Amino acid sequence: MSLFGVAAGMALRGRRPILEIMFGDFMALGFDQIVNGISKFREMYDDQVTVPLVVRAPMGARRGYGPTHSQSLEKLLLGIPNICVVACSECHDIGALLTAAVEDERPVFFIENKLLYGRPNRRPEDGHIGELAVRESGDPYAALTFSATDFTEGSATIVTYGGMLPIVLDAVTELVLEHEIFCEVVALSQLVPMELAAVLESVARTGALVTAEEGTLTGGLGAEIAARVQEAAWSDLRAPVQRIAARDGIIPSARPLEDAMLPSVEGVVDAVMAIEGAQR
Amino acid sequence: MREIVLTREDANTEFALLTEWLVEDRTEVSAGQPVCVVETTKATVEVESPGEGTIVQLYAEDVEVELGKTIAYVAETADELAAIDAKAEERPAPKPAAGDRKATRKAVELAELHGVDLSGVEKRGFITEKDVEELIARQKASATPAAGPILAGVSTDGVSLPSTFDLDERAGVLDPSFLASLDHDAFRALSMGSKIAALREAGAQIGEGVDVGEGSLVVASRIVIADGVRLGPRATIVCEEIVAIGELSQFGADLELRCRRAFLGAGIWAGRSIRFGGGGHRDPWATLTVGDLAFVGDEAFVNVCRPVLIGREVFLTMRSMIVTHNIGHSVLEGFENRFAPVVLEDRSQVGLGAVLYAGSRIGAEAIVASNSYVVGEIPAGAFAIGVPAKATGSSSHKLSDARRLELARRMIDDLHELLALRGHAVSAIEEGDPRGFEIDGTRVAFTPSYRGGVEAPAVILALDVRGDVTDGIAVVDLVGRRVHGSGGVVLDSVREFCRKRGIRLEPGPWSYSGGLV
Repeated sequence: MSLFGVAAGMALRGRRPILEIMFGDFMALGFDQIVNGISKFREMYDDQVTVPLVVRAPMGARRGYGPTHSQSLEKLLLGIPNICVVACSECHDIGALLTAAVEDERPVFFIENKLLYGRPNRRPEDGHIGELAVRESGDPYAALTFSATDFTEGSATIVTYGGMLPIVLDAVTELVLEHEIFCEVVALSQLVPMELAAVLESVARTGALVTAEEGTLTGGLGAEIAARVQEAAWSDLRAPVQRIAARDGIIPSARPLEDAMLPSVEGVVDAVMAIEGAQR
Repeated sequence: MREIVLTREDANTEFALLTEWLVEDRTEVSAGQPVCVVETTKATVEVESPGEGTIVQLYAEDVEVELGKTIAYVAETADELAAIDAKAEERPAPKPAAGDRKATRKAVELAELHGVDLSGVEKRGFITEKDVEELIARQKASATPAAGPILAGVSTDGVSLPSTFDLDERAGVLDPSFLASLDHDAFRALSMGSKIAALREAGAQIGEGVDVGEGSLVVASRIVIADGVRLGPRATIVCEEIVAIGELSQFGADLELRCRRAFLGAGIWAGRSIRFGGGGHRDPWATLTVGDLAFVGDEAFVNVCRPVLIGREVFLTMRSMIVTHNIGHSVLEGFENRFAPVVLEDRSQVGLGAVLYAGSRIGAEAIVASNSYVVGEIPAGAFAIGVPAKATGSSSHKLSDARRLELARRMIDDLHELLALRGHAVSAIEEGDPRGFEIDGTRVAFTPSYRGGVEAPAVILALDVRGDVTDGIAVVDLVGRRVHGSGGVVLDSVREFCRKRGIRLEPGPWSYSGGLV
């Protein structure tokens, strides 16, 4: 809690602090500072101050760290006004995202999945990553859209972010290789304020949506995305939005139990297959 | 031998990227020489050789390697190099990672079916069924017509075509005017002798001792039927171009054989109410081959509108079904429309009621369990079961010499017991080598290795046959599956007994009338 207070004070005094809370789970300790201070100062003081701090928060499981060091708590930041939540993935230009976060006048919560630290950064080359064609939005916190068919056809859009991206990409590859079902994937980096232009554009092509996140299901990012997409693109959807997320529960330490709790490649494949089934 | 191992430096890093080898595989390196570049999350480092010798690299460039794994060996001597190679052979081939595959399962199947090389697809991204279809269409448009329609380019790997496949093209050509004026119903009504005489008169080549059952019809532009063939009553054979049947093959009642070309081998045994043909049997590609000594069970149905290749000694059991086309609903509405050959390689086996879908290929000695549904390939030697059929194990297991000897030795006891239960007078089993008993004055005995010197009359079962086979002696080579010498009803009984253990002996045929068992 005091770390957040110190960082907030530095930001109010014109510095641009980067606060790293190793293990995003401990963000809970700073919530009073976040909700009643950091996010409110600018409006409370009529734009006379800004709080340009960056909080780097490693999130995510699959390393056997147990219930209090494995969560994906970014959904708790949903609905807090005047902050920005950015999640990087292995396919984003992570340096550019972090630079944009530091330059941002808003408080930015920068979500990093732990598994990212051990994986190479795979950036688009010649408009492709592997066999998938990729488009990148021009926003400072870019959204990446992947297509297995160079954007000519698609059965569903899967929207995801952060550490779920490689799992979703594996699922998309399996759907193509085993079933010739072609999906688009939108990897968001800006989660709050929610910016869904790339998702709506993709859903207009595919007519179906799956959301995939590593956090727990209830009240998650997927729920908010589903609500907004059905509102904006009801006539584009031919099937109910499917949500993929962790079960509503705590994360066990044992790796097999942890896997059983978390969203998987099979789960994503099944969700898309369910949409295909509903269509027939 | 020294190993080059990527060591794990911290708790959070599990993989490193092997970006580049600085030396060629299997070249000489010296101690301390940098051999590769490895990128971890923290740094890019050069890895040095721990000693002098020949480097054997275990990974390609640009792959993720789990920390703690050996990435290369450095062999100091030729013996060490050989030891490394021997170890490499034991290791199963690495499974291709998802990222290495870019062709879909449907694309791979289609390419295999048409024998096209996927490298012909020039495209960024995944290779799909549609890409392969386009490649096939392009190749068809540009190339001279590839294989003729007889086998339509189907690979005969693993399939021994029947003895009748390579007939002289003038053999058995019928007079076109005979065919034009033939009244099928009237022909059916003829006596067997008249039928055979009429066909021979028209040009058909029909051997001695051929039995054409009552009410049967045989019509084809070319007819070649070898000695001793038996066609059960009410057979209907109508082939546009040719029907050729090898010696001693027999087909039960109510056979229906309709296709463009039928090449049936020697020593085939087929049951009753078998149907070859169905939709598309007049198509240019409607070729049927059945290998020598194949078995076809009662009521089997084989659709022939694309080539169906059934290998030597294939066991296609009762009510199994083979289809070579599927034309249910419109392709323009997204339904599958498939025409594809089916191949059963030598000694493969298809269980009761199993269905082989168009494009299936059963590998040599593979077994498909009853009621399975086969789509695609079953590997050679596999046991496959299910809907769709999946390989779950091996179709046979390796026998030790000692176990084989034990099983063979026990056969004499089983045969002795069977004959006694059937009410035949048999002597008690006499121990010794050969070990056996007497029936009707003939000695029936087993010896591991036959070297001659047996008193006639006798039927000797052996695992290895080297000695002379004199008059009055028949020697059954159980491993070579061959009968040497001749014998009467006792030999027939032994052959029938062996057949029921899957040991089919040459020369054929497969079943014997008048045996005691």
